[in-house]
Amino acid sequence: MNKKGVVIGVIVIGIIIGIVSSLSTSNETVNLDMSRTHGTISTAMGSPILGDPSAPITIVEFGDYQCHQCYNWFHNTKPTIFQNYIETGKANLVFVDLAFLGRDSQKASQASYCAEDQGMYWEYHDTLYNFQEPQIDGGWANSERLKAFASNLGLDMDLFESCLDSGKYVKRVQYNIQQARDHDVRGTPGFFIVGPDGQQQLGGAQPYSVFKQILDTMI
Amino acid sequence: MTSSIILIFSDPKYLVLSLAIFSSMLIGLLILSEYIFIEPYVVGHIPSGTELGFALIVMITTLSALVLPMNIFRINFLKKSKQKMGGGLLGSVVGAIAGACSCGPIGFAVISTFGSVGATATAFLTSYEIPIRIIAIGILTITYFTTTKSLKIECNLKSN
Repeated sequence: MNKKGVVIGVIVIGIIIGIVSSLSTSNETVNLDMSRTHGTISTAMGSPILGDPSAPITIVEFGDYQCHQCYNWFHNTKPTIFQNYIETGKANLVFVDLAFLGRDSQKASQASYCAEDQGMYWEYHDTLYNFQEPQIDGGWANSERLKAFASNLGLDMDLFESCLDSGKYVKRVQYNIQQARDHDVRGTPGFFIVGPDGQQQLGGAQPYSVFKQILDTMI
Repeated sequence: MTSSIILIFSDPKYLVLSLAIFSSMLIGLLILSEYIFIEPYVVGHIPSGTELGFALIVMITTLSALVLPMNIFRINFLKKSKQKMGGGLLGSVVGAIAGACSCGPIGFAVISTFGSVGATATAFLTSYEIPIRIIAIGILTITYFTTTKSLKIECNLKSN
């Protein structure tokens, strides 16, 4: 009788451990610092920080993955800023979604956070801007393509698909859009350069010279 | 064709009008299309890959500055109907709105105000910006040739 009880006990404990472990993997917990702010902007729901988190200056970019001006900034201005300010630890960058251009814009933003779950936010972000096509909602950022991008990056597709299809990050993206509206961002890309002594707003895909001028006065 | 242009723009009034249209339209479109920024510093740049868009804006502006004063001259001097003015205005407006409604403040305002209808309209204008501008150039070019042709005929009739 005792032997039978021990066997049943082991089975029950085994089942409980199995359930707990399966729940902990399917929950896809998110490590968000809800108190994270840069200047007056809550970036808690934005991207992970690109560069040194303790850098004295933070560039907050509000962007849309379907915006061609964001594409221009990503390809023409960002690389030089990255090389001269982010890699050198003088500044860091946070991307906050202002996904307003089309129905695929919000889905693309959500997909970027599904990639973040697997530690590949910036790789996925870069992929979206590298593969952006001119037509808004033309299919280049629909669910199938977003999943294909994830697959090309070698992400766990079961996790990624369940995340994207469940709409796990719908509210996160909406929170970011609201942050943009609260800060009077009226187009993409929009920037706030937050330094030790204040913040400066910039509208549009401005050239490197403008960023340099502002960043140098803040350092 | 050259003689009608010389005839019109020898009058300083039309020359000033043409220069005013050219400069205001060019600066306005370059700001809207983010080739020129006025805040926090006045700065101009042509990002790599956007050279064609820039060239099309310059063409639309040049043609508008040519066609619109010609049609105003035609209406004022020859007392003709305003019918042909339509082509010039249409080409200028179509060319202007093509790039204006993208991810910038105008597109954002249109989408915020009109919701999904606004989003569809701005998406169309943004996605087909280059073809729309080429069509606008086509309209302005046709208007230019028809205007110079009719000016030649009408001026001959008037001098006779």
